Amino acid sequence: MFLFSKEEDSPRLKQLRALSLFSTLSPRELKTVDGLLHERSYLQDEVIFDQGEEGQALYIIESGKVLICRQGRPTEGRIAELGPSSLFGELALLDNSPRAAQARAAENCTLAVLFRADFLGLLETHAVIASKIALQLARHIGQRLRETVNGPGSQSE
Amino acid sequence: MNRHSGPVVWIGIIVSTCLLLFLFKKILWLVVPFLLALIIYYFLQPATHRLVLQGFSRKSAAAITGGGFILLLLICAALLFPWMSSHAVGWEASLARYVEGGSRLLQKTMAGLEIQFSFLERASLSRNVSEQMTGFSETFAQRHLADLVLTLAAWLPSLLLAPFLAFFFLRDGRRFTKFIGNAVPNAFFERTLYLIHEMDKTARAYFQGLINLTILDTITLAIGLWVIGLSGALVLGLVCAVLAWVPYVGSILGCLLVVMVAATDFPLDPWMAYGAIIVFILVRLLDDFVFMPLTIGRSLRMHPLLTVLMIFIGGAVAGVAGLMLVLPLLGIAMVVGETVGLIVTDPRLQARYAHARRLKALQAAADLQT
Repeated sequence: MFLFSKEEDSPRLKQLRALSLFSTLSPRELKTVDGLLHERSYLQDEVIFDQGEEGQALYIIESGKVLICRQGRPTEGRIAELGPSSLFGELALLDNSPRAAQARAAENCTLAVLFRADFLGLLETHAVIASKIALQLARHIGQRLRETVNGPGSQSE
Repeated sequence: MNRHSGPVVWIGIIVSTCLLLFLFKKILWLVVPFLLALIIYYFLQPATHRLVLQGFSRKSAAAITGGGFILLLLICAALLFPWMSSHAVGWEASLARYVEGGSRLLQKTMAGLEIQFSFLERASLSRNVSEQMTGFSETFAQRHLADLVLTLAAWLPSLLLAPFLAFFFLRDGRRFTKFIGNAVPNAFFERTLYLIHEMDKTARAYFQGLINLTILDTITLAIGLWVIGLSGALVLGLVCAVLAWVPYVGSILGCLLVVMVAATDFPLDPWMAYGAIIVFILVRLLDDFVFMPLTIGRSLRMHPLLTVLMIFIGGAVAGVAGLMLVLPLLGIAMVVGETVGLIVTDPRLQARYAHARRLKALQAAADLQT
């Protein structure tokens, strides 16, 4: 019961710091963010979200792998397979446009979920934390853009 | 996100609101403090938010605002208690005086009407009303004041619960969302969280609007009554504004109260009472056409016909408590009903849920298959 649960201790914060999105946050800031994150477990082949669905949250992989693919075509429509510390569904944090692809659990996985309304609330109440997350998010989107232009694994401009 | 629901969902919402009202009537001692706690929570939320903005943790901010509010209540109680105990004896007489003043005005008005319309005189309207009112006003204070004081005393412990509940709402509100999120299957998770957020937004708009509306109503009515020269204008304004929380009936009670005070303070000048009625009606009009759209607006997004219908149903099912509770309850039932309706009627979400259950069953039985 939430009324009697105790605060998460430092291993949890270490786990969060390992995620690229939160790597620049201080322990105190991580604690604040941890209060907003939802943790979900998915079984292999379970659908996380569908292509075309209105996006409301960003997902970060804590453990396991996630397959990003065209709707209902996990094999021939495969776009990417993401591992621990990767994030996906990030555009939902910026607007509520439909999801561009389907996400399925490639193996049993645990995901941290940041809901858009909570992120927008964070922008108002903890602008420093929100800016650090937004900067990491911008870096991530930039990296995706470079990969699209230059091909996977490219680092330079 | 599309939130339109069909007639079946709406019938379900209305029926469940009625059932909840019936149930809540039985546990009113818990429901009223809970509702008051919600009002206090939304009242203190902006202050807590400001403290968080200044760098306080949510817990400290909740402790400062919640603790400050409880302290303020205790100081008010400590100051009011000696005053109340010294004036308690005079209340019975004052109440009787105001009821008598009101009935005198009614008799005078009836007599005036009889002079104007002869059929009223033939029906002995003035005499009948006078007899009824005399009996009523003579025994009203003796019969009802003691009951009222006893009822208030019985309600005090559960009313004291409200500030403490509000403090925990402020401190742990976010954990509650997480708690609900954890209880929802993966397939419905995003949609449920979105609707919880929408519900919170609606409730915040409603309750904060209600508080602002009460302040505006109090100030406007107090100024109006003060201008026509009525005593205790600010207290009267506040009582009437709070009574207006009960739709329709509250306004009528508020109007009666103002008329009683005017008729008692100026027994020889019935025009003062009529003036008070005019001021009251003007403030209600201002409330309906200017203040309400500015504050509460269309936060509940309900059709006016449904609102009026539900108020009557609420009154019939659970009396005065039903009148007060029916709109907030309908608001909650609406969001919950629409959420369930959206989930139940979405075949893709249902299919994903069924698929996840199959996967779970397969994984649980993985080492049992030979």
